[in-house]
Amino acid sequence: MALLHYLTDPFQYAFIQRAVIAAVIIGLLCAALGTFVVLRRMAVVGHALTHSALPGLVIAYLLGGSLFAGALIATVLTALGIGFLARDESVYEDTLVGMIPNIMFAFGILLISTTRSFRDLFSMLFGNILGVTQGDLHLIMLIAAVSLIVLFLFYKELKLFTVDPDYAQTIGMPVKALHYGILLFLSFTVVVGIQAVGTVLTNALLVIPVAAARLLTDRLGRMIALSCFFAVLSAIGGIYLSYYFGSASGASIVIFCSLIFAVVWLYKFIQKSMW
Amino acid sequence: MRFPYCQHRHSSPDPKAPALEIQGLGVSYPSEEKFVLRDIDISVSAGSAMALVGPNGAGKSTLFKAICGLLPVRTGNIRVFGHPLGACHHRVVYLPQRSEIDWHFPISVLDLVVMGRYVYLGWFNRPQKKDIEIASHSLKEMNVLDLADRQISKLSGGQQQRVLIARALAQNADLLLLDEPLNAVDESTRQTVSEVLHKIKAQGKTVIVATHYYDQEESRYDKAIYLKDGKKIGG
Repeated sequence: MALLHYLTDPFQYAFIQRAVIAAVIIGLLCAALGTFVVLRRMAVVGHALTHSALPGLVIAYLLGGSLFAGALIATVLTALGIGFLARDESVYEDTLVGMIPNIMFAFGILLISTTRSFRDLFSMLFGNILGVTQGDLHLIMLIAAVSLIVLFLFYKELKLFTVDPDYAQTIGMPVKALHYGILLFLSFTVVVGIQAVGTVLTNALLVIPVAAARLLTDRLGRMIALSCFFAVLSAIGGIYLSYYFGSASGASIVIFCSLIFAVVWLYKFIQKSMW
Repeated sequence: MRFPYCQHRHSSPDPKAPALEIQGLGVSYPSEEKFVLRDIDISVSAGSAMALVGPNGAGKSTLFKAICGLLPVRTGNIRVFGHPLGACHHRVVYLPQRSEIDWHFPISVLDLVVMGRYVYLGWFNRPQKKDIEIASHSLKEMNVLDLADRQISKLSGGQQQRVLIARALAQNADLLLLDEPLNAVDESTRQTVSEVLHKIKAQGKTVIVATHYYDQEESRYDKAIYLKDGKKIGG
């Protein structure tokens, strides 16, 4: 029964119970939205938004305001800013996406370096899922519930808009609104993800489970289900890793997720070479 | 309950009006000064088949995109079945060149063809049995019903074209705008497409086809319009 002890031991602590619940919900949200982010070739935009949250977090921290709100404002402004600046094509969109997050990131570090409180910077950069409070958990649940319901309601439209945007427009779908809607929900998701794995690693949760799922199926519904499964597995597995090896929780989740990807990739590789 | 994507897009066609009437049309791409199309006048009567002929870059695709509302009209106007642009868009279907679709998207052929029914479903409603039957029937008409469960990335060029036409048929539109449907497809696809175009016309629908092969197909069309450098040439 020693093995069972290994599995149940961490759960005697309330903060670990909360961390697991939060990580599972965040994983589900990232995987579900991440599917559309990856299929719409927006993975780099996710990367840009996660890094851009930092100055928002720092300013909120310095002013003693809500970190959620700070991060959300910074990511939404970045998303809209990239969309706006890319309009006249005088600077390519991928150039902007390469530039803006670094500028925002540098700005965030500049601000926090004036306070010398690098301990808090660490949890902003790399997440602090073990420090999730009951209040944080409620907010995470609320954002995840709203986002998942919206995804479910507009599933059909998101599907068509992704595979054939021109056709979506000709039948009267408001394609611009759909595009900005995805960016908005991506911002929400990123801000929630930062809680778990920090600004540097959130994009990994959006992309890696989806990439693994894509290797295994070519049906959208199954792909979303598999991504969610991998994300939940990573969330739980990562926290166990962190508990038994004393490793950083956010990094452990991402590494666990990458291991799943590696196993799936190997499986596909071997399967292909056998045939 | 139905929640159409666009409230005012479901007017009934005016039976006496031409399928398509274009006057003094000028089109440019957003944020560009230069006009891609200038002074275009076209009238296509309902139930006819028209060829749109011209070299690459003449503006054929641009004209189609303007007709179905993908590009803004800068000058002049377009009327479809007697209504201003956008008033009866479920009646118009545009078949883009195959390259404009993400063929790696993880869905089946049947799923893609069912999308031709979305304009009737609107927000929130999921495809019903009837929609799936209509989509299957369209696939059958294009002789590709056996591909219904196949992932769309595993189609040949000719099969892609057949599937896209099947989606257009599933929409049951009255004005079909086909952009190079016969470009780089195999002989049997060309046969099927020709037969289906013939059938569509026999049902009283209007077809406009942008084509490179007008010389070989002349007998199939009632009329041809020539475009060069964004202008209509000849009668």
